[in-house]
Amino acid sequence: MSQANRRNRELRAAALLVLPFVFIFAVFFLYPTYKVVALSFTDAPLIGEGNWVGLANYTKLFGDRLFYTSLWNNFYFVLLTVIPTTVIALLIALSVSKLKGRVQALVLTLFFLPYVLPVSVVTMIWAWMLDFQFGVLQPLIAAITGKPVPVFKNPTWVMPMIAVVTVWWTNGFNVLLMIAGLRNIPADLYEAASLDGATPWQRFWRVTWPLLWPVVSLVLTLQLILQLKLFDQVYLLSNGGPFNQSYVVLMQMYREAFQLNNGGYASAIAMVLFLVIVIVSILQFQLLRIRGRK
Amino acid sequence: MQGTGVHLDAVKKSFGMVDVIKGVDMQVKRGEFAVFVGPSGCGKSTLLRMIAGLEDTSGGSISIGERDVTHADPADRGVAMVFQSYALYPHLSVFENMAFSLRLAKRPKAEVKDKVQEAAAILQLTDHLDKKPSQLSGGQRQRVAIGRAIVRAPEVFLFDEPLSNLDAELRVQMRLELARLHQKLGATMIYVTHDQVEAMTLADTIFVLQGGHVQQSGAPLDLYDDPSNRFVAGFIGSPSMNFLDAKVVAQTSGGITAELTSQPDARFDIALTERPAVGTPVSLGMRPEHISITEGVGLRVTVDVAEELGGVSYQHGTLEGGEPVIFQQTGARHGMHGTVQTVMPDAARMFVFDEAGDRLR
Ligand SMILES: Nc1ncnc2c1ncn2[C@@H]1O[C@H](COP(=O)(O)OP(=O)(O)OP(=O)(O)O)[C@@H](O)[C@H]1O
Ligand SMILES: [Mg+2]
Repeated sequence: MSQANRRNRELRAAALLVLPFVFIFAVFFLYPTYKVVALSFTDAPLIGEGNWVGLANYTKLFGDRLFYTSLWNNFYFVLLTVIPTTVIALLIALSVSKLKGRVQALVLTLFFLPYVLPVSVVTMIWAWMLDFQFGVLQPLIAAITGKPVPVFKNPTWVMPMIAVVTVWWTNGFNVLLMIAGLRNIPADLYEAASLDGATPWQRFWRVTWPLLWPVVSLVLTLQLILQLKLFDQVYLLSNGGPFNQSYVVLMQMYREAFQLNNGGYASAIAMVLFLVIVIVSILQFQLLRIRGRK
Repeated sequence: MQGTGVHLDAVKKSFGMVDVIKGVDMQVKRGEFAVFVGPSGCGKSTLLRMIAGLEDTSGGSISIGERDVTHADPADRGVAMVFQSYALYPHLSVFENMAFSLRLAKRPKAEVKDKVQEAAAILQLTDHLDKKPSQLSGGQRQRVAIGRAIVRAPEVFLFDEPLSNLDAELRVQMRLELARLHQKLGATMIYVTHDQVEAMTLADTIFVLQGGHVQQSGAPLDLYDDPSNRFVAGFIGSPSMNFLDAKVVAQTSGGITAELTSQPDARFDIALTERPAVGTPVSLGMRPEHISITEGVGLRVTVDVAEELGGVSYQHGTLEGGEPVIFQQTGARHGMHGTVQTVMPDAARMFVFDEAGDRLR
């Protein structure tokens, strides 16, 4: 009797605690997700109902040249950012962790600062720094290539430059994760290794690297997912141009949905990108885990 | 300096403004088992880490064998260290942990295998070579840490409280294994511990550290029988020595007569060559096992706690003046708890210390 009572009370308390989250999750996540899936099988405009068209949106998408260009650009961008940002973050974390006390906090803050800025400010800063006529970085570019380059209007330069901006913007967070990982490695392992005769190089490859690997693979996976969702920087810096050289999948989805009013087709694009991200990140995760276990 | 294992000369260490080691001289002979003891925070670990090269030396010099290694790299000193935390590489198997230094030195595979197998056999780890450290018990991890040191065949082994994470039974067992290992390898070993029994049983020489200095060094029983100051007398031996305040009331032909401050009817004739003047306050040290029950006059001790260990018991009590006294009883159960006992220390085995804590002989 009293036991049943207590159970009831516990259940009520549990429900009370969980309900607000479940409600918000259902309204703002589950329902929209269901809606996107449903929409992708219709010819609906952005607002209002449409007719069931089966897989027509998907067949159309797989025949769309622009979609392949976008997808390729996405992967190109991933190639340009994921591994470089991880390596850079690791190098920065290794040097920052050699510093002590206040100096370390200060340097860490400096590296983290860009991450706090909103994307519009970040792109504004870089658009000015790289401005064809007045940009402070143009002399540097001129020194390397021989002449100033309007980087966001140049098909070869546009993607790498967006990658540079993105790495600069998001690197602080990765540095933070790496620092946390490095702090987790007990100092006496390094002491034991130096007694065992390890050079700094050997200490890194035989102690730091294997013990930091879980964090490195976490950073790689998070970055992969994040960079496949590229949109803001492209939209603000180059708007997909020139000659679609920086056009990416989310850009295409945005255009179909909000400029051409093709809600159904845009949903299909979103679904395909979602599947691509799931597959690629699972593949990567498995790959990293196997390497880690070796 | 032939046969020198480890030689420290006026070694100093400060962390910023704080002087931790204030000038330590010591000589550990080749093949000797030396033990550092001292209260917590006295700098035992620091001194050990300085010998290993893990802490810089602020002053003085350290030599190992014939070489001055004061500023040498840890790897070039020919020392191996066993950490209290074991410091095993968690991602490597037991075999690879033990082989680590040989792998770094790029030794041939066969040699690595031989040396690791040999060390594993000594430490009974042969069945565990493929396991990761996380799959081992505390005692096994400890053995791997020792194995890693053995494989390097160092001139000097350094141990920082290696047994402190083990339970009582395993400690006893590992203590014996360490003693055997020392006999077998014949290498110089320096060992830091809190544990009296470990220090007394393992050591050839004990160094008592306190206040940044070596208070006394010598064979365990020499320190026990002949402490050179009050600190060493109180630190060596468990339970520790009783100290009772007293005053010199007369000089006799062979020594002094002292009278306890808290019980003036208790007087002792003590043999001393350097006789302090009448009226000098002194401190009398007596070990619990040198105090026995007497029928006649003696110290009246109110026993409040009795620790019965079976074979012996320690009776904790106070004098009328409130000074604590511990005495030892052997054999039968005594049931002295709550009673007043009259006890008499053996005056021939009493130590006399002056007010500064130095021994008067
Ligand atoms: N890196 C450091 N920076 C500043 N002070 C330190 C440092 N390492 C140790 N000390 C100080 O040096 C003193 C001696 O420390 P140490 O670790 O050698 O003591 P210990 O004798 O090994 O003590 P325990 O028996 O508790 O292990 C302590 O007072 C400690 O606060
Ligand atoms: Mg210590």
